Amino acid sequence: MAAPLPDVTLASPLPPPLPSLVNARRLRTQRVGRALRLWVPAGVLILILAICFLLPLVVSLPSSTKGNIIYNNEPPFSPGHILGTDVQGVDIFSQLVYGGQVAFEVGVSVTIIGIAIGGTLGVIAGYFGGWVDAVVSRVFDILIAFPALVLALVIAEGLGPSEMHTIWALSVFGIPAVGRVTRGATLTIRGLPFMTAARLAGTRGWRIITRHIVPNIAPTIVTFSLLGIGVVIILEGALDFLGYGIPAPTASWGKMIANGQQILSAQPEYVLIPSIALLITVAALNMLGDALRERWGTQ
Amino acid sequence: MTDALLEVEDLRVTFAAGGREVRAVDSVSFAVSPGATLAIIGESGSGKTVSCRAIMGLLPTGTAIGGSARLRGTELLGLSDAQLRRHRGSDLAMVFQDPARSLNPTMRIGLQITEAIRTHRKVSKAEAQTQAIELLRLVRMPAAERRFHEYPHQLSGGMRQRVMIAMALACRPKLLIADEATTALDVTTQAQIMELLLELQEELDMALIMISHDLGLAASYADEVIVMYAGKIVEQAPAAGLFGTGGAVRMRYTRALLDAIPHLERPAHTQLPVVGGRPPDPTALPSGCSFAPRCQYAEDDCRATVPALAEHAPGHRWACWHPCENGGAA
Amino acid sequence: MTVPEPSATPADGDPRPAEPATQATQATQATPVAAANGEPLLSVRDLVQEFTVRERGGGKAGVVQAVSGVSFDIMPGETLGIVGETGSGKSTLARAILQAPRPKSGSVVFRGKELTRLRGGSLLQARRHMQFVFQDPFGSLDPKWKVRSIVDEPLVAYHTGSGAARRKRVNELLDLVGLDPARYAKRHPRELSGGQAQRVAIARAVALEPSLLICDEAVSSLDVLIQAQVLNLFERLRAELGLAYLFIAHDLALVKQVSDRVAVMYLGKLCETGPGNAVYREPLHPYTRALLDSIPSTEPGSARASTVIKGEPPSPINPPSGCRFRTRCPRATDLCATDEPMPRELATGHFVACHFPLTEAPPAEAAGNGSGHAAAPAGTETKTSKAVR
Repeated sequence: MAAPLPDVTLASPLPPPLPSLVNARRLRTQRVGRALRLWVPAGVLILILAICFLLPLVVSLPSSTKGNIIYNNEPPFSPGHILGTDVQGVDIFSQLVYGGQVAFEVGVSVTIIGIAIGGTLGVIAGYFGGWVDAVVSRVFDILIAFPALVLALVIAEGLGPSEMHTIWALSVFGIPAVGRVTRGATLTIRGLPFMTAARLAGTRGWRIITRHIVPNIAPTIVTFSLLGIGVVIILEGALDFLGYGIPAPTASWGKMIANGQQILSAQPEYVLIPSIALLITVAALNMLGDALRERWGTQ
Repeated sequence: MTDALLEVEDLRVTFAAGGREVRAVDSVSFAVSPGATLAIIGESGSGKTVSCRAIMGLLPTGTAIGGSARLRGTELLGLSDAQLRRHRGSDLAMVFQDPARSLNPTMRIGLQITEAIRTHRKVSKAEAQTQAIELLRLVRMPAAERRFHEYPHQLSGGMRQRVMIAMALACRPKLLIADEATTALDVTTQAQIMELLLELQEELDMALIMISHDLGLAASYADEVIVMYAGKIVEQAPAAGLFGTGGAVRMRYTRALLDAIPHLERPAHTQLPVVGGRPPDPTALPSGCSFAPRCQYAEDDCRATVPALAEHAPGHRWACWHPCENGGAA
Repeated sequence: MTVPEPSATPADGDPRPAEPATQATQATQATPVAAANGEPLLSVRDLVQEFTVRERGGGKAGVVQAVSGVSFDIMPGETLGIVGETGSGKSTLARAILQAPRPKSGSVVFRGKELTRLRGGSLLQARRHMQFVFQDPFGSLDPKWKVRSIVDEPLVAYHTGSGAARRKRVNELLDLVGLDPARYAKRHPRELSGGQAQRVAIARAVALEPSLLICDEAVSSLDVLIQAQVLNLFERLRAELGLAYLFIAHDLALVKQVSDRVAVMYLGKLCETGPGNAVYREPLHPYTRALLDSIPSTEPGSARASTVIKGEPPSPINPPSGCRFRTRCPRATDLCATDEPMPRELATGHFVACHFPLTEAPPAEAAGNGSGHAAAPAGTETKTSKAVR
């Protein structure tokens, strides 16, 4: 019933090989691209951190809070003022450096608090389920319902603005944000067969959490946290802009933007410079988070 | 001498994975007559699915395809998407393994079938609906009119596969390729679906290519069987030539497959004849016969030269330097 | 008949061919090692397990009784195979025996202890001798752990021995399943093949020297040749360690191959239980017959009259009244709709739950009954398959 088969003799010559698909150059480009996407933002962040935290230890910078009104509105590259001075005569570069310190301090603190409290609660809620999950989820829901900025305003009004108060206020937003992501990741892991296998092997709850759940959700949390730092830095900048975050005269990027806002049309650089710093920092954090997700996602 | 419906000659497919070249299909040739049933058997990595997807034009871009696949004289390889679409559905159609994933879970199945119909023919919605219900009846779907309005999750696995078949048959193709179409189904449902396919073949004069890892399925339902390993055909014969009385399996791999399947007639707790090792790494195929590293009958010539697939007995081709005698009682 | 040694299973990644494979010969004789007092190792009585099915919006759609009163025994060293198709409840049954989650009702007596009443530490101790092998070899291994830690985990959890002693034991276990410790102990699951990963899972499962191994479709996701290797490994462990197995699968031939006794499950109930050969040669339940007939066979010259069963499996939320199989059974009568058949012993050790088992003549009134699903002559067609030409 079958049609006659095409004839194949033992001595038929080998067919010509197919064009090679493995283009060594294209592969190299791909690999280089991947490495760049990771190390460029990482390098930028390291550079920014070095400038903000290490440079003042090494080089003596002009004050970021006080300035001589005689030397106000100096242009960039003036002697003693690399980026010039602002309306009040305060050095702009110093303000950037010390403002950057504040930004990172707040950003990292809120994220660490978020992971410590929110992450722990999220894992517990996800792992134990039941009423524990119900209670913790409601707590998260309540916390996240508070508009972060409004809460910060209220705290600042009531207790007076300070860096600590800003951190507390933003943690109200950070804890449930990390907590929900952690809970979700834990739920995903919990349903996998190897979790049942671990329980059947006799491993107790606490060890299951630390040795099985945490290592498997860590990539998700780290990636999310990096993006989170960026968000917090922006929120903190907004608070400073509104005057409710870091109190004057401490330098901060938001305050710089606020101060420069009044003469935006005449001298836009007072707004542009801190805005660019903000932009670069947050963009680098986001890109690093994406690159890490790309790298760890394949595992 | 009947004209073949589908003639595949020297099909080769290579793609790049992780920086290395993978020869997924290496010089595969076969032919399918109108109304016949061909079974392509192989384990994972054998190249059985890739060959048929190459014929259907379903491989991703960036795959190098060589050779020829002619459907009633028309060359299918190298056609553009638009040209292929004209052939898909009316000349050849494909049914896949997991109906749960091939069906859109948010769309009613009736709509999915009518969509399939209207892609190929200019008919009104009402006309398409009538045809769709007719198709559902054709695939013996109970309560066809009611099912038309249901969602995939409301149907069982067997019923979903019937829907897939109905969609594939929308334009009465001459060739249906079933890629592990019953693997995910229960054995009783599998029997139902296979019976359905046989009946449809007779009703529509349709040829069928079934891709599977199940030799039993090939023995029970196919006219002709092809066994693939590491991208090559290693044995090819009519089913009766391999499995029936007087049939003989020659290639060592086919023999190993047959021996490894649990047989109802075997006593319990017998040690199965074991073939060690794993299928070869497709980026680093061994020189000589691909099966030689695992074959206990391999000799030096097996490891040195690739055995050519040749017709050593009438209608029966195999690629082995030291094949089984007496159907493998060796 | 001389008893040959079980052939060594070569390591998966090892390219050397197997030693001349023993042809289908008997491995160590299949007599289960009876305990001194003949007590069953595992005794399951009237086990019931339910779960609620929720609608999309979260409202309750219904309750599925996945396991509805299942009873059986497993003697030490014996292999019981459970065959069932989708929706039969066999996997739920396995989990219920493990108490993960606890069954709704029924009794599970394992090594003399009632598992349904144990909690916490005592459950852990009792369950030490009962281990599980999952269907998905990769899913059951933590992707972040190395093979050594994975196999070590039960040893750590039950505090068996010092670090050095455990290290030695892990090496022994890896050797036992045919994986060279030097090459595989440091790998992560993603660096293993399916067969190798399943061997690691098996090594972990036998680490504590259990008496019972529950295998839930343990070889279903493996290629045919690898599947044979792993099955041989199971047989070897059975011979060397005296393990009892509860082997769950949907492939009747596979189950019969590895089991002493076979139980057939349909929609949460056991239709038929008996010695493997008896169930195959003389099936008593029509469903068993249908299963046997649906299996495509490669045996030469088999003129299979494939009796294709008709109809779809009924919804587990609303199982048919009386006998659950009656909607697809060719022998169903009105009695089957009203009275649920209880298991009765028709031959030694061979139980069937059917009003009209296949050894008796078909009932006189095999006419259509009120179910509307099965029409007279309910549900079968006999076709000769293509193998005979």
